[in-house]
This record gives sequence, structure tokens and C-alpha cells, in this order.
Amino acid sequence: MSSARQIHGEEGRAYWAMVLPAFLVYLLVIGFPIVLSVVLSVSDYSGGKMFGGESWGFAGFGQYARIASDPFFWNALKNNLYIVLVSVFGQLPLGFVFAYLVYRKLVARPGFWQGILYLPNIISIIVVGLLWQTIFSPRGPIGAVMNAAYRREFQDALAALFASRGGFAPTEEIARGILELAGPAGRALFSDPVAELRELLLSYPAGGMPEVLDGLANLFARKWSPEFLTRPDVAMLPVLFVILWMYTGMYLILFLANMQKIDPQVIESARIDGARDGQVMRYIVLPALSGTIVNSAILAISGSLSSFALIYSMTGGGPSRVTEILSIYMYNNAFLGRPNFPLANAISLVIVAISLGLIAATKAVEKRLGGKEE
Amino acid sequence: MAEGIPTGAAGRAAQAIAKAAAYALMSLFALMTVYPILWLVMNSFKTTREFQVNQLGWPAAPTLANYAEAWSYGEFGKLFPNSLLYTFGATAGIVLLSALAGFAFAKLGSRATRPIYGSFVIGILLTVNTLMIPLFIEVNLLGIYNTRLAVLVVYVGQGLPMGVYLMTEYIRGIPTALVESARIDGAGFGRIFRSVILPMVLPVATTIAILNISGIWNEFALINILVSKTELKSLPLGIYKFSGSLSSDYGKQFAALTIGMAPMLLFYLAFHKQITQGVSAGAVKG
Amino acid sequence: MKQKKILFALLAAALISSLALGGCAKKAKVVTLKVMNYQQADQAGYKEDVKIWEDFQKANPDIKLDMEVLFNDPYHEKLQAYAAAGTLPDVFYVWPGSRSAVIHEKKLAKDLGVILGTEYLKDFSAAATNPANQLGMYMAMLPQAYTYTSVMYVNKKLLADNGFEVPKTYAELKAMVPKLKAKGIAAVMLPNKDGWPMQSCLFSTVAGRVAGDAFLRDVKAGKAKFTDKPFVDSLAVIESLYKDGIIAREDNQVGYGEAAGIFASGKAAIYVDGDWRAAAYITDKSSGKALIDPKAQESDFVLAPFVSIPGEQNPGVVSAVAGCGWSINGALKAGSPEEQAAVRLVKYLYSPEVQAIRFATGQYVPTRKGVKADVEPLVAKVPAFYAENDKTCYVVDGVFDPAVYNVLNSGLIAIGLGTKKPAAVAAEIQKAFDAWKAAAK
Repeated sequence: MSSARQIHGEEGRAYWAMVLPAFLVYLLVIGFPIVLSVVLSVSDYSGGKMFGGESWGFAGFGQYARIASDPFFWNALKNNLYIVLVSVFGQLPLGFVFAYLVYRKLVARPGFWQGILYLPNIISIIVVGLLWQTIFSPRGPIGAVMNAAYRREFQDALAALFASRGGFAPTEEIARGILELAGPAGRALFSDPVAELRELLLSYPAGGMPEVLDGLANLFARKWSPEFLTRPDVAMLPVLFVILWMYTGMYLILFLANMQKIDPQVIESARIDGARDGQVMRYIVLPALSGTIVNSAILAISGSLSSFALIYSMTGGGPSRVTEILSIYMYNNAFLGRPNFPLANAISLVIVAISLGLIAATKAVEKRLGGKEE
Repeated sequence: MAEGIPTGAAGRAAQAIAKAAAYALMSLFALMTVYPILWLVMNSFKTTREFQVNQLGWPAAPTLANYAEAWSYGEFGKLFPNSLLYTFGATAGIVLLSALAGFAFAKLGSRATRPIYGSFVIGILLTVNTLMIPLFIEVNLLGIYNTRLAVLVVYVGQGLPMGVYLMTEYIRGIPTALVESARIDGAGFGRIFRSVILPMVLPVATTIAILNISGIWNEFALINILVSKTELKSLPLGIYKFSGSLSSDYGKQFAALTIGMAPMLLFYLAFHKQITQGVSAGAVKG
Repeated sequence: MKQKKILFALLAAALISSLALGGCAKKAKVVTLKVMNYQQADQAGYKEDVKIWEDFQKANPDIKLDMEVLFNDPYHEKLQAYAAAGTLPDVFYVWPGSRSAVIHEKKLAKDLGVILGTEYLKDFSAAATNPANQLGMYMAMLPQAYTYTSVMYVNKKLLADNGFEVPKTYAELKAMVPKLKAKGIAAVMLPNKDGWPMQSCLFSTVAGRVAGDAFLRDVKAGKAKFTDKPFVDSLAVIESLYKDGIIAREDNQVGYGEAAGIFASGKAAIYVDGDWRAAAYITDKSSGKALIDPKAQESDFVLAPFVSIPGEQNPGVVSAVAGCGWSINGALKAGSPEEQAAVRLVKYLYSPEVQAIRFATGQYVPTRKGVKADVEPLVAKVPAFYAENDKTCYVVDGVFDPAVYNVLNSGLIAIGLGTKKPAAVAAEIQKAFDAWKAAAK
């Protein structure tokens, strides 16, 4: 591009006439806040009238040091990077394949699929969060199904135990056997397990076998709980899946729009030459869209790093902060209680810096792999 | 390219498997989409008491009371026209200003391009939380607090970084020869923009519009800072009146959410053909 | 006689016209008050709240209310923005603690102790008028309520059906578990997916009894540590609650909103939550239905303090915190018409009539003494609970910064799941506290 030459006269006037409206609005809405954000992040401003009130000034880079030494920050950053990975290597390829299927009409009713895959973008995030919590609650539908299975399993084991001891009777031996099946968590319910369990068994009417089985299952059968959600290594997986579902449709639309630019004749002649759809995709469509893909990657990176509402309404960053991402980390630390403006601005500038780094990396990859365009 | 063609049946089988996998995943996504919408609408007909004991089943005694109360409490009648204005006004502004700037950045050479364009790209990355206080102070200084203008300007400014970026990259792909031949024919830059560039950027303009419309429709953090009068607020602020954490009235909340979602849903269902057409219209000329 | 009549008529006319003129003059200088109201449209009492403001407007034509209504985070964000720009409204709603830190610490609100005066304030409870209960150590606002964050809602009938009484000690509570559990009934329900309920509704009370307020103050002053025995012992009580099966471990995955319905349906014998939760059970005006029928509220349910804990230092204390209230902008000129109007509005908001409406709609129990209202049985039991349990202790999240209590909240979940030991959690909290202290300097 000949971007760096001096321009004169009409072209110069036209240039500024076209750039200035956007640039002025930009300076107002984004430029000033960025500058103020940088200033605040190294200040000791603590609320109150910002200009003309109590004076505040430079306080050093303590907030940045505080962030760097906080393990929760690094955890949040790690989670954010997972989201970036899912976005770039999940949403983009999937969105591309879906767009191609729709574009080439390789699926029945392409219009329907295009519509339905984009639709998640419209669903309120609050609804997704609430539904998520309801479904994964230990008392929700998954819990109901799993608990029924655990009960059956436990009652089968009980039946086997009774059969091996010649039938059920509230004897000490049977009680010991039951407690064996119940495991340590079950035994912890009692102070004197064998005696207390026998007492409990005696309280059932004679011949009330179904009640006994029910009661024992209530007491000792495993209870389902979405424990995988509390394990730091897997807690993010369902969240990532929801993110994949929510935003893939957006890239479908982006890619589809740009596929429409490809000259249909190029594809037709390739087909006549015997190229399969997979090959058309790889050798014609993919190169034609390389620019769009890079742009989408940048979109995905910036969106991933500043996303907040979806995860906040799904998990609130929990349980035990394992699904915290940077923006939630900022909210929890700087806004939830006493607002801490320097800290909030420091965190958000760190987010910007990380995004810039990732985008620079994307551009570098594009330069190395690019060349097919133009 | 020729050596990459797998032979006959194997290739066909691979393609069939790929297609089946695609169908499976698309169906799963579709289910994940339809179910929440259904769940929301279904629960909006339950009383809160019923929802608390029956979160997943059909309503036992469907009621419309939630809607009547949500509509009047949320004052949605006042908010709805504002939402339309902000969403479509700001989107139009973003598309137009991005196209102008994008044309200048891509086709009119200037030393200023590098720093200005670069600064736009940084703007893509800011989180809303950091913008709020500075924006509020600014808006007060300019005396446009509590005006629709302030909301529109801020929304346009928010969307510009991404819009300018996408436009510039797109217009760079348009052959410079087109611009130059129009110049030789004596056309001014304004005319070139109108008659050469604008028709060609339709696909990317549609893209930018799609990216912004649902975002602005659901935005509440910024507009909350910019206005205080109910007459100037938008739908999300009305919906937000219903989403409490303590002793929530879920029935009304679900009704409010349905009210908030329905227009976008209808808009998309009604116009998704036009959206695709808008995209292909650009393709014919490109 | 006639003259007298004429004189009288003239006098009357003069009086009327002067009154009318006076009225005109008054009308000419209507005072506009900017008010920020915290209002949730889906809460019980919304309609009544709207009417409270309309009534004031009608009764005070010389004041024009310019009102902004917000709720939850948007309210706080807006208040911060107003504070930053120096354009706070004249009357606004404020939290006693760190959530409204700017107002308290920068002294942005008038001292209501001075403005309202001791004569007016003597009708309010001592806890409400104690400046030490507010962050700035002065009366930036007047708490409308003094909230107990830790109440055992007990299904007395369910317990009686199984041969138990309302438990008073930890041992009694533990003894109930096997029998109840065998019937599929949880002994104690405490939904803790959101992290704060365990800390706010149970742990604070346990810490208050085992460690005590003085200990927490010492920790804050650096004279004691979270890793000291009293605090670790408090955490150990929580650990044993889960180990003994009193609270199910899976309740750490139950959302806060779910629990009220679960308790009402008889799946738990005891439900631990704040006193505000009583409002969840009152009759819904639009459907005429209640989660718990008022008759059953009266006969089958009681409110009780958490059971006594082995080794407790301060038996019977219950965690409590000052509630929210109204503030007057500190920038209003003393003696100005605006200030007078603001005072009139605030006095109206705290009037027995308005407070009775708040009480009747189950929003809170007023700090104004002697407010009577026709309330449903469960709500009526709340003030009785206050009277029987007058010794209170801190709520931990009211004392420490989020950087500290966030670590405690997640640590309590880890203890509940059995993945961390009390000593390890205590060490994490101390570390977070040290880091916060270092940064706060």
C-alpha cells in the first residue's frame, strides 16, 4: 500500500473529511477513557469527586505488582486463555465448516440451519445462566436420573447381602454388613454406628422390607452432584462448550457473507474437473477467506478476553473461583465491595496488553502463512 | 490439487461421515438453542410459587398476569421506541462512519493513517467497566447527560473500532484501479465513495450491522450511566428491574425477559432472508 | 351589626386573598429534589413502594421529586459515577458498609445525627443510631433495619412427626440425622453454590460464638491471625457439620434461589438463611398463593438461633448487621430550602406509616420502635426472634474487604466438599489479608 506518502489538496481534504467524524467520536468515547484509565491505574484515587474534589496523585505501580502476585489472577488468566483457544480453534473452524455447508447447500434446508445456529446470539444471557443452574443442580433433572440409578445399585447390593445372610433381620451382623456397604461417609452419620443402625432397623415394622430398602437407600446410597464442576481441571469444560455453542453462529454468518463474494464459476469449473466438496473447501474457499479468518480471529480474541456476562450468570466465577476469568476477577476484587478504581483500571489495562500481544501474534502467523491473498 | 483427490468409495464414505457428524453437532446446537427459549416462554406463564417447586415441567395453571404486571412495572411501552432508535440509529452511524474512515484509510494515502488506524484497533479491546466513570464525567462536562444524543454517540463510538477495522481491511481488498479510473473520469472522492465504494461494501456492512444490532439491543451498563430519565431508557434497563438475587419474582422476570427477547427474535425470523440477500447483492458486484 | 358583618367579610376576604397570594408565592418557588431510589420491580411491596412516593408528591406540592429508579449493580455503578463527577442527588439510598464506602469515607452525606436530632432519633433502636455500625463512624444514613443474617427456620411439625423437638445443641442436631435422612429429609438445608450464604448466614454466627468479635477486631488490627486457634476451630465446626451429615455436601451445588421452595416442600427439616427470607413465604398478592400457607406458618414453623456449639465462648450470639437507609447529600447548603425539603422527605420515609407498609410487605422489620402492621405469621415471628436473641456479633463480610472474604467464601465451599482442611483455608485467608493490607497502604 502507498499509505505513507504525503497528500495534498483535494485528496487531503477528502481524507480528513472522511476520517475526522469517526476519529472525533472515537477520541471522545474511547480515547479519553483509555488515557484516564492509564492515569488512574497508577494513582491513589479512591472515589469521590474526581476533578476539583479531594486531591489524588501518583501512587506507583503497586496495583500491577499486586495483580502479578495473586494466584487467582493467574488462574483467571489461564481460564481466559482457554476461552481464546476454544474461540479461535473451536468457533472459527466450526463456523467455517457450517458456513460452507450452508453456502454450498450440502445440508437439507440450509436457510433453517443458518437461522437456528445464529439464534443463540439473541437469547438473553440471564436465561442461559438460570437454565444452566437449574439443570446442573443436584436436585435438577440430571440429579434425579443419576440418583435413581445409584439407589438401584445400592439396593441390589443390599439384596445380595441379605440373601447371603439368609434373609433380612435387624441383627448386629446384618447391621455390620450394611455399614460396610455404606462406607466411611455413611458410618460418620452415627456416634455408635452398629447400635444406632440396629435401633433404626428395629423401628421399621416387621415385614416392611420395601420401607427398609427405601430408608437405607436414602441414608447411604450415593448422591449425584456435579462434582466435576468443582474440579479446577474440568470445571471450565462445560463453560467452554456453552461458549462454543453461543458464538459459533456469529462466525457462520461472518464467513457465509464473505463466501458469497467468491465467483461461483470458479467453484463450478472445479466441480466439473472432478473436485470434491472437501477439496473445493480446502483449495478454493479457504484461501479466498484467509483475510476474513484473520479478522475473525482478532474478533474472537478480543471478545474472549473482555467477555463477562455469560460466565458471570452461569457460574459467577465459582465454585471456589475455579471458573473466574479476568473480567470477573476485576469485578470481584474491584467493584463487589469497596470500589478500587486503580486496581480495576490496572486489571483492564493488563487485559488490553494481553489482547494486543495475542493479536500481534495472529498477525505474525498471517504474514508467515499468508501471501495467497492479493 | 490433482494428487489430493481420494479414490472413489473411500472419499465418498469420508464425506458421508463428515456430513453425519456435522448434522449431529448442528442438531445438538439447535436443541441447546430451542430448549432455553421454550423453557423461558413456558416459565413465563407460571406463578413464582409454581416455578419454585416445578422448574422444568409445563405450567399447571398458565397465567398471563406475569406479562401484564411486567409490562406495566417495567414501563416497556416507553422503553421500546428508545431501544429501536438506539439500536438502529447507532448501527447506521457505525456503518456509515466506518465506511468513510475505512475508505480513507485504505485508498487515500496519508502518513496519519498508521497512528490513527492503529489507535482504533486498540479500542477493540477495552472492557466496558473501565469506560463508565470517564464517560460519565465527560458527558456531564459536555452538558449532554440525559440526552439521546449522548447514548447514540457513545454507542457509535463503542462500535467504531471493530467497524473501522473490518471496513478498512475489506476495502483494501477492492482493486485500487477502480478508484483510479473513477478519478480519471473526473469523479470527486465523495462521489467515488457513494457510487463505487458504498455498493461494494454491502457484505461487510451487513456483517458489522449483525455484530452490533444484538449487542446494542441488550446493552445496559453504558446507558445506565448516560441517562436517568425513564423516557430515555432502553429495554434492558427495564428488564434489569426484574433480575434480583433475593426473593426474586421469577414469573415476572421471565415475562420481562420474553418481552425483551421477542422483538429481536421476530426481527431475525422476518429478515434473515433479506440479510442473506443483502450479503449476496454485494457479491454480484464484487 | 351590619358594619360588623361587612368588617368581617372584608377581613375574611383579606385573609383568603393573602392566603391565596401566599399560596401563589409558595408555588412560585417549588423546590426540586433529585432522588435516587433503590427499587426492585419483582419484589413484594413494589406497588406499595410506588404509592409511598406518589403519596409524598401529592401531599407536598411545593416539592417536585425528580426521581431515578435503579436496582442492584446498576444502582451502585451510578452512585459511584455521581460521586466521581460530584453530582450526587439530594437524597439517595446507602449501604452501611463497604458497598457505599465512598459516601462514608469521603463524608459525602450529611450527619443525620445532627440533622434529625436526638429527639427524633430516640424512636429508633440503639443499634440503628449507633454511628459505630457505619463505615465512616458517623451517621451518614439511618439504617431502616437491623438485619439478623443467621436464622434457623424450623419445620416443627416435620420434626415432631419423627419424634424430635426443636434442637438446642449440636448433639441433638446430629442425633436427628440418621432417622430423617432415612426418610429422605435433610436435617439442615444451606444452599451454598453462590458462596456467600455459608459465610453470611452460618459461619459468621459460629465465628462470633467460638472466636468472638474482639478476635476479629484483633485480626484486623494485626494483633491476631486467622491461623490462630479460635478461627481455625470455627472453620472446624463447619467441617464437622458436613462430616456428620447435618448438611449434605451436595448443597454446595444448590443455588440460593432454589432452597426456599425445597424447604417449603418438606424436603428439609431446618433451613438456615437470613431473617429476610421469611418474606419468601408470604402470600403472593397476584395469585393469592403462598409457599407456606399462613395457617401452617403459624402452627408448624418456628424461628430459632443456631444450636449451641461445643466449646463456644459467647453462647447464643447471632450475626447481625445494620441495614440500608437514606442519606442526604452533604453538599446541600445548610438551612437552604433544598435541605429543608430533603429533611421533610427523609422524615416522611422514616415515618411510622411508611415503615409500617415496609414491615407489612415483608421487606424488613423496622428499626423505628413500635411500628405495628398486620403481617403474616412467619414475618411476625422475626421481631420476636430479635427480642429473644439480643446479643449479636459481626457478619464477616461486613468487617473485611472482598479480597479477604472472597477467599473465605470459597474456602468454606472447599471445606464443605471435603477438599480442604480448616487449617489450610485459614492460611489462605491470612495470606489474602496480608496482601490486601500491603496494597491498602
